Amino acid sequence: MKKMFALLAIVALSLAARPAVAHHALQAEFDTAKRGEFTGTLTKFAMINPHVRWFFDVKKADGTTEQWEITGAGPQALRQNGMTRIFSVGQTLKVSYAPARDGSHTGRVVTFTFQDGRTVTMYHEDPNNPNDL
Amino acid sequence: MHQFNRFAIAAAFAAAMSLVSLHAQQGAANAQNPANAPTPRTADGHPDLSGMWGGGGGGGAVKPDEKGNLVQLTRGRPCSKQQADLGNCEPGINFERDSGVTQRMGPEIPMYKPEFWEKVQDYDRNGTKYDPEFHCKPSGVPRMGPPAKIVQTPTELILMYAQGNVFRVIPIDGRPHDPVKSQDTTWYGDAVGKWEGDTMVIDIVGFNDESWIEWPGWFHSNNMHVIEKLTRVGNTLKWEAIVEDPDVLMEPYHVEGRTLRLNPNAKATLTEDLPCEERDSQHMVTHERG
Repeated sequence: MKKMFALLAIVALSLAARPAVAHHALQAEFDTAKRGEFTGTLTKFAMINPHVRWFFDVKKADGTTEQWEITGAGPQALRQNGMTRIFSVGQTLKVSYAPARDGSHTGRVVTFTFQDGRTVTMYHEDPNNPNDL
Repeated sequence: MHQFNRFAIAAAFAAAMSLVSLHAQQGAANAQNPANAPTPRTADGHPDLSGMWGGGGGGGAVKPDEKGNLVQLTRGRPCSKQQADLGNCEPGINFERDSGVTQRMGPEIPMYKPEFWEKVQDYDRNGTKYDPEFHCKPSGVPRMGPPAKIVQTPTELILMYAQGNVFRVIPIDGRPHDPVKSQDTTWYGDAVGKWEGDTMVIDIVGFNDESWIEWPGWFHSNNMHVIEKLTRVGNTLKWEAIVEDPDVLMEPYHVEGRTLRLNPNAKATLTEDLPCEERDSQHMVTHERG
């Protein structure tokens, strides 16, 4: 019972708090019902607010190179997970993402696959209803 | 009759037991309630506001498995039962941001003069275009909310904020507003504090007209005057703010107050907030709900 009341007190206090940086709806920028995929070379990894960014060079079949910008959650999530050093420039990664609605070369990451087969998924619990970026 | 008596006795016994149980529950709740801790005081007798406020919840951190695979899933706002029943629960039906609805249902909203109603609505509808915070500008007072850490000296209150690594130094030695700084136009204004009983009352003027009071387009003029109040009760801190802006508001607006708990981790410290760079606005197909 004591534990329950401690929990209730914590819940009550956390309800009083507001989200730190509430930003915008994910769907306003990305089509979460669709998926895109590419394999590219990481050219820059930016631990910035409000959302972390990965920049890629993606070689096309015709020999040309496209630049892609992939976004994810806020940097705090990666810091808490001790993940800030797992990405480095020059890595080849397979990227699965929700594509931008405006057709630009941007996307919201779903899963990164490293060359050794490791996967890092950073998305939403319910992929059909992610409400915030 | 006999039957009735037995029933009455049983009912009375049940009621008594539930009272005993309730009493025990209240006792446990009181012991756990951080507001019931003694309020520490400084040598001059005022409540000591010093400490790390809020936080300590944390959690959410997931660790990679033995192969280095990691899955971090964020919990979004679930669909309502009605949406699910109607089969309306697919993505893209709602561009309202998380928590937007509950924040709009606050007990009070600022009453703008009629000539500004259209402007507020335009700012609200085009939040991702106009909202200064969305574009990585400072939140300013009072939108920044309560501090994450306070250091109190007999003459100064040092307020520190996690978001943007911001600090404010509030003189509490009884001095009036600085005649030059109070005419400046800044995000945090010129602030002076004084004790009213056990409440620290901070008077702030000298604002710019760039910051917003809150995210739904609630702008203000550079004649805004904010009264911020901090009250420590045990190991809780109550934060309140009142916004007066006769240029645009018909009456003072009371910002929804917040109560923070003293961080239970004695080793808790502020973490550096990383720089902010807005890169989404140009790709958004709607400018609503910044």
